[in-house]
Amino acid sequence: MSHYEAPIREPLINGDKSYHDISVDVAAPVEGRANKLWWIAFSIALIAFLSGIGAIIYTIGMGIGVWGLNNRINWAWDITNFVWWVGIGHAGTLISAVLLLFRQKWRMGINRSAEAMTIFAVFQAGLFPIIHMGRVWNAYYVLPLPNALGNLWVNFNSPLLWDVFAISTYLSVSLVFWYTGLLPDFAMLRDRAVKPFQKKIYSLLSFGWSGRLKDWQRFEEVSLVLAGLATPLVLSVHTIVSMDFATSVIPGWHSTIFPPYFVAGAIFSGFAMVQTLLIIMRKVSNLEAYITRVHIENMNKVILLTGGIVSVAYITEFFVGWYSGSSYEDYTYLSVGAATGPYWWAFWALITCNFIIPQSLWFKKLRTNYMWSFFISIVINIGMWFERFDIIVIDLSRGHLPSSWTMFSPTYVDVAIFIGTIGFFFVLFLLYARTFPVIAQAELKSILKSSGEKYKKLRGDNHE
Amino acid sequence: MASNKKYWRSVEELNSDNSVVDQLMQKEFVEEIPTDAFLGDKESLSNSSTTRRDFLKYVGFSTAAASLAACQGPVLKSIPYVVKPDNIIPGVANFYASTMADGSDFANILVKVREGRPIKIEPNKMAGTWGSTSARVQASVLSLYDNNRLRGPLAHNKTTNWSALDSKVVETLNTLKSNKEKIVVLTGTTASPTSDKVIADFAKSFGNVQHVVYDALSESAALDAFETMYGLRALPNYKFENADLIVSIGADFLGDWQGGQYSAAYTKGRIPVKGKMSKHIQIESNLSLTGANADNRIPVKPSEQVFALINLYNAVTGSSFASNKTPADGAIKNIAQHLKKIGNKAVVVCGIQNAAAQILTNALNEALQSEVFDITSPRFVKAGNDTEVKNLVADMAAGKIGALLVYNANPSYSLPNAKAFNDALKNVKLSVAFTMSDDETAVNTQYVATTPHYLEAWGDTEFQSGQFGLMQPTINPLFDTRQFEESLLTWMGADKKYYQTLRDNWSTSILNGGSWNKALHDGLFNGKNTVKLSEKKVDVSASATALLKETKTADFELALYAKTALGDGKQANNPWLQELPDPITRTSWDNYMTISAADAKALGLENWNVSDGALNGSKVNLKVGSIVLNNVPAFIQPGQAKGSIGLAVGYGRTSGMQNEMMTGVNAFAMMQDFNPAQTVSIEKVAGTHEFACVQLQHTIMGRDEIIKETTLDDFINKPKDEWNKTPEFSLNHEAVAAEKVDLWEKFDDTIGHHFNLSIDLATCTGCASCVVACHAENNVPVVGKYEIRVSRDMHWLRIDRYYTSDMTNEKAKEDGIFGSGEMFNTMMIPQENPQVAFQPVMCQHCNHAPCETVCPVAATSHGRQGQNHMSYNRCIGTRYCANNCPYKVRRFNWFKYPDNKEFDFNMNNDLGKMVLNPDVVVRSRGVMEKCSMCLQKTQLSILTAKKEGRPVKDEEFQTACSSACPTGAMVFGDVNDKKSEVAHITKDDRAFHLLAEVGTKPNVMYHLKVRNTEES
Repeated sequence: MSHYEAPIREPLINGDKSYHDISVDVAAPVEGRANKLWWIAFSIALIAFLSGIGAIIYTIGMGIGVWGLNNRINWAWDITNFVWWVGIGHAGTLISAVLLLFRQKWRMGINRSAEAMTIFAVFQAGLFPIIHMGRVWNAYYVLPLPNALGNLWVNFNSPLLWDVFAISTYLSVSLVFWYTGLLPDFAMLRDRAVKPFQKKIYSLLSFGWSGRLKDWQRFEEVSLVLAGLATPLVLSVHTIVSMDFATSVIPGWHSTIFPPYFVAGAIFSGFAMVQTLLIIMRKVSNLEAYITRVHIENMNKVILLTGGIVSVAYITEFFVGWYSGSSYEDYTYLSVGAATGPYWWAFWALITCNFIIPQSLWFKKLRTNYMWSFFISIVINIGMWFERFDIIVIDLSRGHLPSSWTMFSPTYVDVAIFIGTIGFFFVLFLLYARTFPVIAQAELKSILKSSGEKYKKLRGDNHE
Repeated sequence: MASNKKYWRSVEELNSDNSVVDQLMQKEFVEEIPTDAFLGDKESLSNSSTTRRDFLKYVGFSTAAASLAACQGPVLKSIPYVVKPDNIIPGVANFYASTMADGSDFANILVKVREGRPIKIEPNKMAGTWGSTSARVQASVLSLYDNNRLRGPLAHNKTTNWSALDSKVVETLNTLKSNKEKIVVLTGTTASPTSDKVIADFAKSFGNVQHVVYDALSESAALDAFETMYGLRALPNYKFENADLIVSIGADFLGDWQGGQYSAAYTKGRIPVKGKMSKHIQIESNLSLTGANADNRIPVKPSEQVFALINLYNAVTGSSFASNKTPADGAIKNIAQHLKKIGNKAVVVCGIQNAAAQILTNALNEALQSEVFDITSPRFVKAGNDTEVKNLVADMAAGKIGALLVYNANPSYSLPNAKAFNDALKNVKLSVAFTMSDDETAVNTQYVATTPHYLEAWGDTEFQSGQFGLMQPTINPLFDTRQFEESLLTWMGADKKYYQTLRDNWSTSILNGGSWNKALHDGLFNGKNTVKLSEKKVDVSASATALLKETKTADFELALYAKTALGDGKQANNPWLQELPDPITRTSWDNYMTISAADAKALGLENWNVSDGALNGSKVNLKVGSIVLNNVPAFIQPGQAKGSIGLAVGYGRTSGMQNEMMTGVNAFAMMQDFNPAQTVSIEKVAGTHEFACVQLQHTIMGRDEIIKETTLDDFINKPKDEWNKTPEFSLNHEAVAAEKVDLWEKFDDTIGHHFNLSIDLATCTGCASCVVACHAENNVPVVGKYEIRVSRDMHWLRIDRYYTSDMTNEKAKEDGIFGSGEMFNTMMIPQENPQVAFQPVMCQHCNHAPCETVCPVAATSHGRQGQNHMSYNRCIGTRYCANNCPYKVRRFNWFKYPDNKEFDFNMNNDLGKMVLNPDVVVRSRGVMEKCSMCLQKTQLSILTAKKEGRPVKDEEFQTACSSACPTGAMVFGDVNDKKSEVAHITKDDRAFHLLAEVGTKPNVMYHLKVRNTEES
């Protein structure tokens, strides 16, 4: 099943790895005991998570007034965080589905964790539209449930309703896709497990995977079908999220460029988050052999591309707003007014983080440097948060009527909820790193002989 | 009455002899219950076993049942009428005509009463000018349900009963009478003939009695001047509707000046009709509501107003009285020319609290032979006599006063020498306060004869010669109170109640054969004008000399003023008024020193916005003579004359008030000699004041289409497109009016009613009456200072106020900085003496409403009558609608506002809740709310007409705001009724829609403002 790969391509699996080595390396975090570092990280994440839960309960008990919002700026950190997390949740599906269809083998080292990140991020994202409601106990009103209240029905014109469908579809397809890929790997863990409890759990999780040819055949088919299903979702989810803004009449929101621009931005931030997580993980979980410089560089290239698209969108927004000559565009989040107004710091944070610093990735030296890649991934995540903050808060703070201009300042509850979701995300991710096969080892084994360093060298020697 | 009906179950029963029937009747159950079969057989009973499981089941069920039964929903007390009052139909409002005259506000009103509770004040349209309701009149209904009202009489700050109080007081009064000691009745202006009669009778009964009238906002100077010139202590009446040119020197005649109620007359001349409108020039120091409406405003210091008046007098009459130079002299020459040209259609009004200045003004109007200046039907709404008040305090201190009865005044708070007054009170043998709450005076007097609210009392008024009004109770007294006149009658041992006295007095001296019932029904009566004037020659020259001599100048001069919301502070405990943003500063819950930007810079005073946008400011200490006010916040006010500062009275109340409402500083202390103009020194102090300001951006930022305005010249001479261009879109490369471009299929809205609201910016004075009317009608919650500060105001209707800026789009293009940060930043700075525009903004009820499309649950949707509806039950609070509203009129319930001790205002106590309108739901936490175009009112009109089988009359359709508007700037109605006023004015050339280019197609329209900039 191995295909031929040119020897001048850099190997995707470094070192002298055999099939067995891969199994051992992947199973190691699951079978071993957690070290001190993991416990520290987990404790911090858990505390953050709990504080977030506390803040959410407080919000629901007291009212949305405990946030810093007001009657002119009715969304701020809530929807900023929502869009930010949805954006982050874009890389996984792109890597596993789109790259599968494009037969990009380098995805195999990273797709499992990228998808896990996606799902965990979508969890966080989904939280915000629910808790930002004034009457969260009536949240089920957004579902088109048959009811006895006459023709009371949801409003299909509303982008918020589209969100409900888009996010739930995306979450369910991603989850199924992820789980399908996990089956052979759970089976591998089951087969290696010595403790009866572990064995039982992993046999349940692996759905009785037997490794027969028929299993593999179905596995491949299902993967392809799901990849086909998931690919349009990569585009649709953020398209629809962008319509929350694009279909409105607010200057700065009302912009036709939003769908493609948001999708690119989402992939941009998603890859940055994958980068952040994997650069840590390859060290902590001893996966340097599988997550190599090539992976990092490839991801940096995607970041550079999507970052470029985003930058072009920024320039377009800025230009079109200015060119319109409309005074209502003077203060949109990409305008002279924003750059010189009271939110200048948010404007320049966006420009610096998303526009200026990522340009360094044009240099091979920098994009193959682990530390720089890590730094940039953090910067992009900050920048992308600011992008959404700017779109929402700057635009709302400078609406049509100057009499209603005001500003927004978060309360500690706003901050606690945001930190809480980061905590929740890491709680999930750390648990995942300890109990799941963090690399799609079954798939990886399929390229060992074509892309493994050892075999490449062997082939190279033979040629000489 | 017992019923003779007999019910039967079978025909046999009717036959009384039937023994079977008899037998059956004896039994409870027709067939024997086989209890023996169950219980008789002891053996089977003991054999049958209840299993453990069954037992647990029964226990479980009964526990669950018991605990479920114990769960109880909230108990809502709803008590039915045992005997239904004849004229109360639940759900149907009764209206009673009455009159408000509390010493600072005077209006003939209608009181809307639901199930015995007054819930809303409406203007009495029969009463003409006096029928207008200001913000304070509108809010007065809430003062009825003030939780801090006294529940009964007090003696030495302890509760007592009336008989005890009466016997003590009468005893003392009799002793004083026999000792011939002086008794003083100190009242605010009552403008009430019968009240005055009762006081006169009381004086007769007790011998040495003096009636002193005291107004916190005194017009003593104007009264003195009028008395000197015309022999009657009254105020002239100004017929502004006849004016072609109004020159005001410091007179805030749209505010509290000389008793107020001039706005309706004034605005009659402010709409150009046949190319003509009045011109209004204002010379003043603070930017007043009146100044904000002027065509031409000249800011000068208070002392310079005096010089300006003399200079103007000289220029018009050719006299040469000594005066000083002022910065306005150039303008004054032109104004004098203009005055002379206009002649008898011109008028000069003056707010300087100096009798000589008022004499000069009257003389000037006489010289002009002004038709506006009317002395034949004078006003009685201010009667305070400063000299007598001053003498009273001195006499009290000297121990010359035996008894002091204080009614409708709060001298312990509002006197400049309140401390001296309080000390002197100790020398008075008997002191009684007639007041509703335990206010500053009540705390310092021996007895408090607690009075009812005016909505619980009888009374009459004569606001203007021959124009009588009646006050009638609209609710049974809530507490153990007795009105002032009743107390006096009791103490003098009169055998008549006040009601009878009132009726008798009316039939003998007022009605002149007219019907009492009709007068009571109408709330007013036009009687005979019995005024007799005796004109006297006055020495104007001497007045001018005295005036110049009495005028002090200083580097900084203070001009005390009364705010639209609180006035003299009588209703300071009214949360609606505390929360009402000032029309000019748009700041609520505070008073503050207003200062010009240049002076502020020189003194190092600043205003700045913090991270959540809220406004902060520096603090100062103010010193007038030996009086110091500490920690007064500084508010930088465009239009404030350089070298002058303003400070509002009415704040800083400390007694009989709820904690939340004790805001600001008491500026009355600085009103030395009852003169609002004082010389002052300012000292900056450390510390930051947090303002509750709802408008943080003051200029229009080059978006001139928001408030359209034009000059009279352009309006007459240029085509409509030049001054009111309809926005256009390019459709298929052709310019098409924005209103015509549509993506959507439109339903036919020409059938049935279709409501439109029109707001005329030319006649809107910004008086804020509509804001309070809306507050009252729609149960809008009060949210308090902090929430207002962070832009969480809940007003459904706000009045935006914009200043002009030196930087305009045109100027920026000339300077080559168009579109730059420099342009934006300078555009934000208002001019030193800006033009001001007001714009009431409420939900625009867009036919293509941006809010409606974005709500995920369709909680906001369009009605067939044009309104944009809000279904609170369906709303889940995503707030998307509010974000997508270009007008930012939607209001979110951030917290639970009713029944929440964090928001301890009227909705948090049973008494305050009585003001709630039962037709409008109180919104819960987490839902969005906004203007409904008073759906409950239009629906009522439709249903009433339907029941009566007739079409709805145009005037029946009203919103709370349109009905409250004193100037008629707001017109509401059905545009499908082609004869309606609103349908007519929709076609007016001045009409435009706010943000029409967004394509929302609103049902609210505006009429642009015309400024008469014609050179004078």
